[in-house]
Amino acid sequence: MPCWNEAATVAATTNSLLALDYPKEKLEIILVDDGSTDATPAAMARFAKHLQVRIISKKNGGKHTALNAGIAATRAEFIGCLDADSFVEPDALREIIPCFANTHIAAATAALSVHTPENMLQHMQNAEYIFGIAYRHAFASINGLYVTPGPFSFYRRTVIEELGGFRHGHQTEDMEMALRIQQAGYGIENAPRARVYTKAPNTISKLIQQRIRWTTGFLRNILGEYRGLIGNTRHGVLGMLVLPSALVAIGSGMVLFFLMLFTLVQNALTALSIRAGIPLLYAYVPSGSFDWFYFPINVYLLLGVTTLLASLSFIVVGKRISKTPGYIALGLVLYTFLYGLVVPLWLLRATADVTFGKNRRWR
Amino acid sequence: MSPLVRIAVGANLLKMSLIVRNALIALFITIALAGTVAYAVSYLNRARINELSTIEDQLSIDILSLDTQFSLLETAPCDSAASSTTLSSELSNMGSRLSYAENQLGSDNEHVIRLKEKYSLLEIRDYLITKKFADACGTKPTTVLYFYSNAGDCANCDKAGYALSYLHDTYPILRVYSFDYNLELGALKTFIALTKVKRDLPAFVINGKQYYGFTSLADLEKQFPKGALATSTATL
Repeated sequence: MPCWNEAATVAATTNSLLALDYPKEKLEIILVDDGSTDATPAAMARFAKHLQVRIISKKNGGKHTALNAGIAATRAEFIGCLDADSFVEPDALREIIPCFANTHIAAATAALSVHTPENMLQHMQNAEYIFGIAYRHAFASINGLYVTPGPFSFYRRTVIEELGGFRHGHQTEDMEMALRIQQAGYGIENAPRARVYTKAPNTISKLIQQRIRWTTGFLRNILGEYRGLIGNTRHGVLGMLVLPSALVAIGSGMVLFFLMLFTLVQNALTALSIRAGIPLLYAYVPSGSFDWFYFPINVYLLLGVTTLLASLSFIVVGKRISKTPGYIALGLVLYTFLYGLVVPLWLLRATADVTFGKNRRWR
Repeated sequence: MSPLVRIAVGANLLKMSLIVRNALIALFITIALAGTVAYAVSYLNRARINELSTIEDQLSIDILSLDTQFSLLETAPCDSAASSTTLSSELSNMGSRLSYAENQLGSDNEHVIRLKEKYSLLEIRDYLITKKFADACGTKPTTVLYFYSNAGDCANCDKAGYALSYLHDTYPILRVYSFDYNLELGALKTFIALTKVKRDLPAFVINGKQYYGFTSLADLEKQFPKGALATSTATL
């Protein structure tokens, strides 16, 4: 568990690891303090006497260096990574380990959702994370995963050693490692019932900052070192469909946003211009009854509604297959009405950062 | 090939076929969704065109009805019970549907063009019979002939059309007749020639008086005869 200034959550995260339903003699917990400047070392020290726990302190070098330090400290066959702001269900490890029965599998991902969502933004992210559970489950079936998220992804030690450990990976070491695993021809599995809860950003600025990091990381990795994966038939569905689609999704997300904005402004200006000088009560207060004849149904509207319904179904399916507890209704509503409005904010800034070579701090 | 290698190759083939199977299922679902959307849109457009066909039938009946009414009233033009046409609101409803259909299906759609032709004919008939009754009976209905263009050569036609809709909805006494100046219809060409409306659009003929261009609702209202814009019931 790599930690940098995680005093608030490191104890709870460690306790959740200690509560894992797994033979104690087969489970080592290594806490790596990556040069924290807050009370993280003291919070870690409370576990110093625990037989399963080892604590490593090092000079700050970034998350990938903390991970490599932890890996170097053990000879375990399977190595998991858990961000210090995440919490695991007791049976999560038992769900994950069977993924490695096939020797072709180099890594396995868990089922992420938001830890105690409180505000609207967190509920929206919870729906998005649960969408990710179904998405990862589906994409794992065609070996299409290109991220092994920080919260509780597991790796086969021999493969990590063969590939040379974690790298900076443009601040997305989990994505870089997953892409390297795929590039080497290994598979990435998913354990949809290995539930892990993570703290989600509670303000829009923190969320945007996090997503800019994810998106720039993706673009820099995929357009840089891993460009060869795109359109490469040797990498099957990942190369031919998943990665190109992800790139198209970023591009089309921005194009659609600008198109929507342009159309909205143009229609509003036209409507205002046509209604200029007409009494407000007539011009702006709707009257008359509903007539389906005037309902503007077209291909774009129906495709949009179908995509939305498919996404909402994915969220419901994700919740069911992972058996994630809690209510999702509010999340579904917010995901429907809020998500599409905030995504362009980080897509635009991330694309601009990549275009102009701007680097931002992790947090 | 050793048994172990054979098992590994077999497992890979099994894995490959699973991936191909899943990809094919995904492709099938995508095609099914896209197909359903395409079918739904096509179905709704067909339903819209069917409704337009119904309107077209109604227009044909209304034209015949007006013709018959016209002939019948030759003998007693000022019979108060018979000398009014009830098409005004119906025309307005058809007009707004036609305008919407034109936006959705395009002004070069054959259904839209045929409907516009019939609609224009009906309007001309209604205008003529209204005028005939007024002349014979001494009533003074307020009629507006409005000529517009959708060919991109009339910047203010949308504004003028909206202002007229407002006037018509606010003052039901008004009889507003809208014509596409560019419609290739013999009767309309003759009507334009007789009313002497120039190709300076938007153009209005308000109780026989021509008025060109649109600046504001207030300016347009000034062109109406005094007392014409009242919310009392129609005299005709």
